[in-house]
Amino acid sequence: MYPAPIDEYVRPATVSDALAALGRYDEGDAVFVAGGQSLMQAVKARLVRPRCLIDLQAVDGLSGIDAGADGLRIGPMTRYVEIAGHGGLGGAYGALGDAARHVGDRQVRNRGTMGGSLCWNYVAACMPPVAIGLGATLELTAAEGGARSLAAEDFLGGPLETAREENEILTAITIPAAAGNAGSAYKKWGLVTDALPVIGVCVSLEVADGRCAAARVAVGGLATGPQRAGAAEAALAGTVPGDAAAIGAAMKAAAAEIETQQDLWADSDYRKQLIRSLGAEVTRNAFARATGGEAGQ
Amino acid sequence: MTGTSQGWVGSQFHRKEDHRLTTGRGRFFADIVRPGMLHIVFKRSDHAHARITGIDVSAARAMSGVVAVVTGDDIKDAILPMPQPVVQPALPAVYPKHWPLAVGKVKWHGEPVAAVVARDPYVAADAAEAIEVGYDPLPYVGDPESALADGATLVHEDWEDNVIFEMDFTGGADADAQAAHEAKVQEVFDGADIVIKERFTCHRCGVAPMETRGALFDWDESDGMTGWLTTQRPHIDRLALSDILDIPAEKMRIIAPRDQGGGFGVKAPFYREPMLVAHMARTLGRPVRWVETRQEHLMAVSQERDQIHDLEVAAANDGTLLAIRNRGLADCGDGCEGVYWGFLMPFLGSVELPNAYDWPIGDIKVKVAVTNKSALSPARAFGELPTRFAMERAIDMVARRCGMEPADVRRKNLVATLPYTSITNEYFDSGDFIKVWDNLMAHADLPGFRARQAEARAAGRYLGIGFGLGVELSGVASELFVPMENQPGYGAATVRLDPRGKVLVFEGDAPGGQGHETTVAQAVAQSFGIHPNDVVVTTGDTGTTPFGSGTVGARAGSYFVSAAVQACDFLKEKIARIMAHDLALADASPADFEFRDGFVTYTKDANIKKTFREAVERIIMAPINLPEGESGGLEHTAFFEAEKPMIAFNADVCTVEVDIETGQFEILSWTTSEDVGQIINPQIVEGQMQGAIVQGLSNTMFEEFVYDENGQQLTADFENYKLATAADVPDITVTHAPTPCPYTPLGSRGIGEGRPSDVPGTLCNAVCDALEPFGVEITELPLRPNSLWRLIQAARGDEAAAS
Amino acid sequence: MSTTTVTVTINGETFEETVPVRMLLVDFIRERAGLTGTHIGCTYEGVCGACTVQLDGEAVKSCLMVAAQADGHEITTVEGLADGSTLSPLQRAFNEHHALQCGYCTPGILMNMDEFLRENPDPSDDDIRHGLVGNLCRCTGYAHIVEAVRSAAKETR
Repeated sequence: MYPAPIDEYVRPATVSDALAALGRYDEGDAVFVAGGQSLMQAVKARLVRPRCLIDLQAVDGLSGIDAGADGLRIGPMTRYVEIAGHGGLGGAYGALGDAARHVGDRQVRNRGTMGGSLCWNYVAACMPPVAIGLGATLELTAAEGGARSLAAEDFLGGPLETAREENEILTAITIPAAAGNAGSAYKKWGLVTDALPVIGVCVSLEVADGRCAAARVAVGGLATGPQRAGAAEAALAGTVPGDAAAIGAAMKAAAAEIETQQDLWADSDYRKQLIRSLGAEVTRNAFARATGGEAGQ
Repeated sequence: MTGTSQGWVGSQFHRKEDHRLTTGRGRFFADIVRPGMLHIVFKRSDHAHARITGIDVSAARAMSGVVAVVTGDDIKDAILPMPQPVVQPALPAVYPKHWPLAVGKVKWHGEPVAAVVARDPYVAADAAEAIEVGYDPLPYVGDPESALADGATLVHEDWEDNVIFEMDFTGGADADAQAAHEAKVQEVFDGADIVIKERFTCHRCGVAPMETRGALFDWDESDGMTGWLTTQRPHIDRLALSDILDIPAEKMRIIAPRDQGGGFGVKAPFYREPMLVAHMARTLGRPVRWVETRQEHLMAVSQERDQIHDLEVAAANDGTLLAIRNRGLADCGDGCEGVYWGFLMPFLGSVELPNAYDWPIGDIKVKVAVTNKSALSPARAFGELPTRFAMERAIDMVARRCGMEPADVRRKNLVATLPYTSITNEYFDSGDFIKVWDNLMAHADLPGFRARQAEARAAGRYLGIGFGLGVELSGVASELFVPMENQPGYGAATVRLDPRGKVLVFEGDAPGGQGHETTVAQAVAQSFGIHPNDVVVTTGDTGTTPFGSGTVGARAGSYFVSAAVQACDFLKEKIARIMAHDLALADASPADFEFRDGFVTYTKDANIKKTFREAVERIIMAPINLPEGESGGLEHTAFFEAEKPMIAFNADVCTVEVDIETGQFEILSWTTSEDVGQIINPQIVEGQMQGAIVQGLSNTMFEEFVYDENGQQLTADFENYKLATAADVPDITVTHAPTPCPYTPLGSRGIGEGRPSDVPGTLCNAVCDALEPFGVEITELPLRPNSLWRLIQAARGDEAAAS
Repeated sequence: MSTTTVTVTINGETFEETVPVRMLLVDFIRERAGLTGTHIGCTYEGVCGACTVQLDGEAVKSCLMVAAQADGHEITTVEGLADGSTLSPLQRAFNEHHALQCGYCTPGILMNMDEFLRENPDPSDDDIRHGLVGNLCRCTGYAHIVEAVRSAAKETR
């Protein structure tokens, strides 16, 4: 199928030009195109009918990964292929690579961007739970030159909903450096290999004195949008890395507290089972990374 | 290149088709354009069942670039309705009347309601979107059981009920005979040690080739209609279109593109869309093209299987099968589809239910109901994937009850001597099932596996092994084809020799990736003693090729290649006769001439020879001084028909590991043992096996067409209709235990069509074997982790599903 | 209808065309450049991979872009894979290992695997299968494709 008629294509070179282009159109009539791997599906299906496409490919300063002492700064136009192939994203940032290596397929990873995924916030997407699980902060710049920062969990709403205002553009994703020994991991399940997640679980944790000092658990693939599992996080605190029973109990708590839905791919009970089994696996992997080991597959 | 010129048959000759296909030079349907070509886009129904209260096309018609907009009312008096005899089987069924566009009411979500013709396809899509259709919804008939219930809403309002077809395959012609037969079968059941009774259901899924359908028609007052069509059977399309549009057949030419992006059955029916495209091309006097979208494809076609089988098996304690009773029920959608009408697949599925087992007696019936879904369209493993799933699962259940290895129950009950006629009157011509089976077992290492399985179980891991087998049609004999599809079964080939010593072969069927250009070139090259690259094959053009019923039912290796070889034999005799005359070899008979290495040699004196080119050039270009009664020229069309139907046979084994916590499983290995007779090209045979088994796996594990409670189709894209990717499937080990077919000139058998059919049973048997400690028995497809997890949960009876 | 001018280099040849803004890149390649080796297998979903081309050397799905997004970039399609009449090792391997049947998905697979092999000169079978996830094939069952890619990798190394 073909997109509905589109009046204009623009390729701004700066953030302010991008926002200016957006400002020329009524709300919803102009859309930013990052990698376009989700948006173009919707445009071709005519679910989104923009009058103007604002292509962000040439905007200066929106791409790249900077790893510093205070954490990671990821340009929203950074593509999955760059995240997947980045050498410095182990340990505390391991979940990023876990997710990026298995998003869609090679072709999608060559185009798709982390920022695009967060701003689209599709029900079955990997980056939203990863951003929440890693405690990411999103920096939004407005047309008037103002900027604000939001925690990922405050930015991401229900499916296809975010806190981004019409006159804003996502300009950076920052992930804080971990306090001590930290590790994170992510895994999803879908019916076929690397399919959109029916459930995806991200766990990041810090280990101090041989125990989990703090943990974040985030789940994607939910009709309610990506969620944190607070009871599971609390249960993981104090857990010793190899304690399978405690990890299992924590993930049972996660499955219990999160509302799951039925769709073509799984019923709600099976989604809970996936939270339990994937959650246990990624928790083990996060522990392994936090304690300097290798994560399993 | 390997082999001598005599060794082409059976050699691994790399395909002739590949150069163009790997360099972007293939010529597929959507690559064909005509000057001034217009584009047609269909407006399809949003409702599963509704009366059309009005169609407003004014906005569409007003759009710049729109040439025409048509609705059902516009065409119903201009086009004859279906059914027409040429695409109507001789089986006793009710054949629904229909036109290319819905008239009065819509019967499924996606049925064509109107169409736009425009100069630009993007604009045509805009205009189709702008058509407004008013609907008055009717109750949705969504499954065969409710379709058959008393007082059910009628899908076709001029019918008495929703039954399109029903048949008793075993009981005789009349009710008395059937009742007597049923009683006889019941006696066997009453006296049997073991009776298995289960309902097996197979979901709606199909083939979905990578290339969708398309039709391009160009009308010319003097030449008539030329149509390019994605089709497996251009000659049938030609006759049907000629009848429907009332265009004399001699003015109708259909060309299947040289390259077609897969068919697997779905390009075999006579569909409604091409009728309308042709009609519009004639009405407008301009070429009109329709390229089906994937969404249209998945809404309208590629949907098969969808059968329920209440199967009962009687057996003795020693594993001997005693009797079978089956009540099949199929959901055929609205049935509006030329040639197949949605019910032929379940019909043949029931014929093939007994499989290769030697049943003393059986009672087999099927009933097919119409519903508010798209008509079932054929898919490789035509109708038999559901029945074979039921049968192969039931055999394992019998084995479990007997305390025997499922493999042993299979071998014990295989038909041991051929020819054989099954209880459903299916004829098995030749082969050696036991040999194929024993070859499989030689590769299966069952005792070794059982030891590994026990070890793994002790460690809390669940491995399983599963078996399955299947008889497949090797071509479709006229004996079956004439009643079933009102079409001849013979294979046809025209072989035309070129004065330069090259060969042109013309095939009326229309392949879609099976490699006909290569296999027939190998057979013809071997026959004439020349190189396959000196053989050029033309397919699928009704203007140049002999009549053929189509690329269906594994007809190439069985019927088409055989016809080509017969045509070669005819021409070789003529060449030999004239050569004997020219060389004054009074005592020579045609058998004394050998065609080899580019020469025709008199075997009684090898010094007497001509190059192949000299021999044929003389007859074509210098037809003087010929023997009495001979004429010049070298071209012959042969029609091959074996006396009886022919079959091929295979058996499979696979191993799996199941994660009992999640219901997820991994296929560890898959091995198949085949009798495909004399192999013409081993790579192509292996490719057919790999591809067919993976299609079967994809059907079993991933694919499913889902309609919601209102008949909305939810799975009309590849995000929702999931096909197996490379990372989801195993490499298949293909082994051979061939018995040449005595009824084809090369001993070859047709292969590939039915091959996916034993896959779901084989896989489910392995999964159930792994879960044997829990007593899990799978009776429903698809086999997905979620459903398997449910079965495991129920069987373990421990922690509640939701915790 | 709103139009835009797109200048792209396809297989070394520059095309400057005024096209509707909404024209998809795959349609530009097929209809404007006349390169019909790039195929379409989806409606809007961009899952099948038959339309895969290389954009600045990277495999992308040309059905998930409008042509304007490729303005100023270089594209390679299957027609540009061979060096004149000399097929690439990957193309040859596809023939030798019978890695295609109908050939509809093949151009997309070749364009993806061509880049894949540059990135992964010594892939395992699992790497190859994982690399192929964005290309659906309905005929082959994939095994021969994996063989062909493995063999081309060996020859290219």
